[in-house]
Amino acid sequence: MRAAFLALLLWVATGPALAERLVTSVSRTEVSITSSFSGETLTLFGNIEPEAGAALPYVEGPYHIIIIVTGPLQDRVARRKANFFGVWLNSQQVTFENFPSYFHVLSDANLTNITSPIALAELNMLPQQQARHAARAGWWDTITFGDELVRLMSEQSLFGVNTQGVVFRSNTFYSAQVNLASDAPPGPYIAHTYLFKGGQLITEKSDGFSVRKIGFERFLGLAAVQQPLLYGICAVILALFTGWLGGVVFRR
Amino acid sequence: MQIYLPIAELSMNLFFLVGIGGAVGFLSGLFGVGGGFLLTPLLIFSGVPAPVAVASVTGQVVAASTSGALSYYRRGQIDLHLSIYLVLSGILGAIGGVATFSLLRAAGQLDLFISLGFLILLGFVGTLMLIESVRVWFRRQQGIVVRERLPNQHNWFHGLPWRVRFKKSKLYISVIPVLALGTAIGFVGSLLGIGGGFILVPALVYLLRVPGNMVIGTSLLQVVAMMAATTILHAISSQTVDILLAFCLMVGGTVGAQFGASAGKYLRGEQLRAMLAVLVLAVAIRFGLSLVLTPDDIYSMAVVGAGGVA
Repeated sequence: MRAAFLALLLWVATGPALAERLVTSVSRTEVSITSSFSGETLTLFGNIEPEAGAALPYVEGPYHIIIIVTGPLQDRVARRKANFFGVWLNSQQVTFENFPSYFHVLSDANLTNITSPIALAELNMLPQQQARHAARAGWWDTITFGDELVRLMSEQSLFGVNTQGVVFRSNTFYSAQVNLASDAPPGPYIAHTYLFKGGQLITEKSDGFSVRKIGFERFLGLAAVQQPLLYGICAVILALFTGWLGGVVFRR
Repeated sequence: MQIYLPIAELSMNLFFLVGIGGAVGFLSGLFGVGGGFLLTPLLIFSGVPAPVAVASVTGQVVAASTSGALSYYRRGQIDLHLSIYLVLSGILGAIGGVATFSLLRAAGQLDLFISLGFLILLGFVGTLMLIESVRVWFRRQQGIVVRERLPNQHNWFHGLPWRVRFKKSKLYISVIPVLALGTAIGFVGSLLGIGGGFILVPALVYLLRVPGNMVIGTSLLQVVAMMAATTILHAISSQTVDILLAFCLMVGGTVGAQFGASAGKYLRGEQLRAMLAVLVLAVAIRFGLSLVLTPDDIYSMAVVGAGGVA
């Protein structure tokens, strides 16, 4: 208790001395999936400002920014094929629980130039770590399947590290682009921005945006899950009707 | 033009979907089959997750077979009595097939069984059809008159108990082979997303000895009823029926089928069967190679749980 109080006191004493804060925003807080949705690009931007009541009325860099964009969590499996008597089949699978469906790291320089590998690991910034935390398997399978899963996700552009993703427009103003492909999983996304100076984490800030189906696409997606029987019957009626119509239209 | 498929959760080119629907519809009209055995693999190879492809194609097969079944019904070429037995046992088989589908999907072996199923089924049927049509063609070359097998020749299983008189087909046979056939087709059809017309037609002709004018209509009705039931079962159990995907395929399919049907009039029966056999074998070989050849990537991934398309 005493130690905690001391730590707090220390933080209060030293915190404001660092005296920077981040002002961030995202170009859109809602990405709508309509029938013509074929991906979307969002811009994350922000400014580094002196904290209110800071000693200096200006801030001094150089600064580095790392932005982690995380998509909705899912349960995933990674599977490995093996050859049994000449036939390739899935022989082993590892489940990954609460695994991000989208994970992109954007920064303005090489991550190891920004801060130490230990700090990167502590902040859980690396794609491989996501897999290792989510895996439900022994340590060996966790490492092999986890790395393969990250590779597969990266091939589909669902995971990625872009060390030129953040661009400083001035000494304190930056922007970054987030690309969502057409198969981006719908759900809540979080863009977590970390500000570094001299290898030290100074402050951090989160912004959220959501990707969701709207209108007819949303209606269909919900209907398929909430009213599966009705949905199935409608699909059949639509099929019967289309077939009947085709017969009527083309009857010679 | 890209169109977003809400259940598959990816966007595809609208013209591509209508196009492959039309192309397969043309072939299905030409050969008088549902076309599911071509459409499902095509969708899987073009990136649609296997469960969505299988479940959505069942909807498309309903549409593709409906107009045919209606026109045969109007001409009185459907044996409704026989159909009832086939359809009821078919639905029973479909329930088993959809349950197996879910089990395999959970175990991560769905893709394997779909490939294996297509390989065995298409390889077997394709080979039989090819042999038969080539033999007929050779005989015709030699000037021998080909005589259809007589419908009243009986197999041993026609004499099993529970004999029923099917008036329209002029049959008095046991219902056991009828029910077994219906169940088997229902099981395989729902598991692989195919109507099974290309198995049912030869089975009705050669096993049950149904007269030729009743075969196609009865088989089409069975396909419509069984695939309709399968669509609903898939919608309930795996929730992977993509109405939008199915609709794009249906539109192309029903149009293509009409042109295929008119093109089919210029070809002789055994020519059509030989071409269909080659097509069926090609698909079978494609699946066979995917099982035997070393895959590009021995790792794969899938989403599990609610809304997952494993």
